[in-house]
Amino acid sequence: MNVPELQIKNVSKTYTNNNGEEIHALTDVSLDIREGEFICLLGPSGCGKSTLLRIIADLLEPTTGQVSIHGLTPRETRLQQKYGIVFQQPVLYDWRNVRRNVCMPMEIIGVPKSERTARIDRMLDLVGLEKFGLKYPFELSGGMQQRVGIARALALEPEILLMDEPFSALDEFTREKLNEDLLAIWGKTKTTIIFVTHNIPESIFLSDRVVVLSPHPGRVSAVVDIDLPRPRTAALRESPEFYNYIAKIRHSFEGV
Amino acid sequence: MELTRKDRRIVTGVWLLSIIVLWELLSAFLLYVVQDNMASSKLPFPHDVLMTFISEWQTLLVAGIVTLSRAGLGFAIGGLIGIILAVIMSLSKVAEKIAFPYLIVSQMIPVLGLAPIIFNIVRDMNMSRIVIAAYITFFPVAVNMLSGFKSVEEEKKELMRSIAANRVDIYLKLMFPYSLPYLFTGLKIAAPMAVTASILVDMLGSKSGIGVKILYSLYSSSFDIFWASVFTSAFMGILSYNIVIFAERLMIPWKNVTTTKVGDK
Repeated sequence: MNVPELQIKNVSKTYTNNNGEEIHALTDVSLDIREGEFICLLGPSGCGKSTLLRIIADLLEPTTGQVSIHGLTPRETRLQQKYGIVFQQPVLYDWRNVRRNVCMPMEIIGVPKSERTARIDRMLDLVGLEKFGLKYPFELSGGMQQRVGIARALALEPEILLMDEPFSALDEFTREKLNEDLLAIWGKTKTTIIFVTHNIPESIFLSDRVVVLSPHPGRVSAVVDIDLPRPRTAALRESPEFYNYIAKIRHSFEGV
Repeated sequence: MELTRKDRRIVTGVWLLSIIVLWELLSAFLLYVVQDNMASSKLPFPHDVLMTFISEWQTLLVAGIVTLSRAGLGFAIGGLIGIILAVIMSLSKVAEKIAFPYLIVSQMIPVLGLAPIIFNIVRDMNMSRIVIAAYITFFPVAVNMLSGFKSVEEEKKELMRSIAANRVDIYLKLMFPYSLPYLFTGLKIAAPMAVTASILVDMLGSKSGIGVKILYSLYSSSFDIFWASVFTSAFMGILSYNIVIFAERLMIPWKNVTTTKVGDK
């Protein structure tokens, strides 16, 4: 087996709250992530899953421990513009239409103009929004806005795609549809995806491995390999193996 | 129920007409019933004012432009200063803490008292108008723009950070476009105030401008010109406000389009 792309070693994060008490958001988290892997960080609120994602993205610094990506620190990786991020909210810029929203990060990292157009076309096609390029964000539904956010992150051709509960604000039907679409997109791009969620079926359906985090203090309580065949379709959600995984993961939570 | 464009025109039309009719009646009441011999100064007939407008439009226009152009220039300069101040304060918390009390104090000095001081310093009518208009404008612009900068959502900034955007990009592509509606709120407050302040400066002893017309016509009891000048200055205020509204519509199209959503399939 080759060297892992991303190594998390003994990472802890401690906050001090307003009363001067120490809050242990993450305690001694270690994890290796392979290149091209789809990994879910699963847990209830307060388990530190978003904190871990933000540490990987260099939006937060760990109190102790290291993260390295192909031997680089998160900061170096971020400065080399290798991350794509999708947030819980679509975080679109209201003053730009869909095409120009997808274009925005490419302007900043300096993708040549001629290539931008081609990439926008390709990405909108990938997320199924090819007809909506000239719409403004407020003209789109929540699900479509989130698709724009995904297209925008993918347009950078990131080495690592970080997704922070991207579908949790959507209704169940839209979420399941977007889960399937995301897998199809991942099948074509093969980027490493780190996906934060609090939804057990979602994490099983999507990932190669589910990292179960438990709160107080935030820690890894289990890592579950999901041995379900790909490509995965909606029918998989009704299979007995799928239910077994749900039961298994439910039992792995500690102290919720 | 939404009013159609036609409905709205009817509303405006009826309003205008009622005011004019009411006014005519009141003027007639003053003149013929009360038999007040100052009636034409207290409340002249609207048709008399209109006639003055027609006969005096050139001098009124010239006077109006003298004042309005200086107010406009001061407004632009003040707006720019306000924006720069907001940027500085948003970049540095220390700068904000230092500057803010000064900004508040600056607004406590009444323009009425400040205008003669400024005139005494610069000794030039045009320059005084510009300085006062700028002085009036910079504060609402700075405060509103800063609150715009501050209300940019954290995730929008994180997105910029995650792709290692530099400060210039963050301001040009995120902070400024996001804060445009806030900027226009400030500009809308400032525009009529800048005009008013310039008219006030006229009255300090200028030789031209609409404020001079108001003052001289009052002293010389030419009430028709007095009223026409008062209306001209009111129009100037309304005009300045509407120019800002027009610019806002042009620059913030995403705020003014009707919100129809396209659903997921």
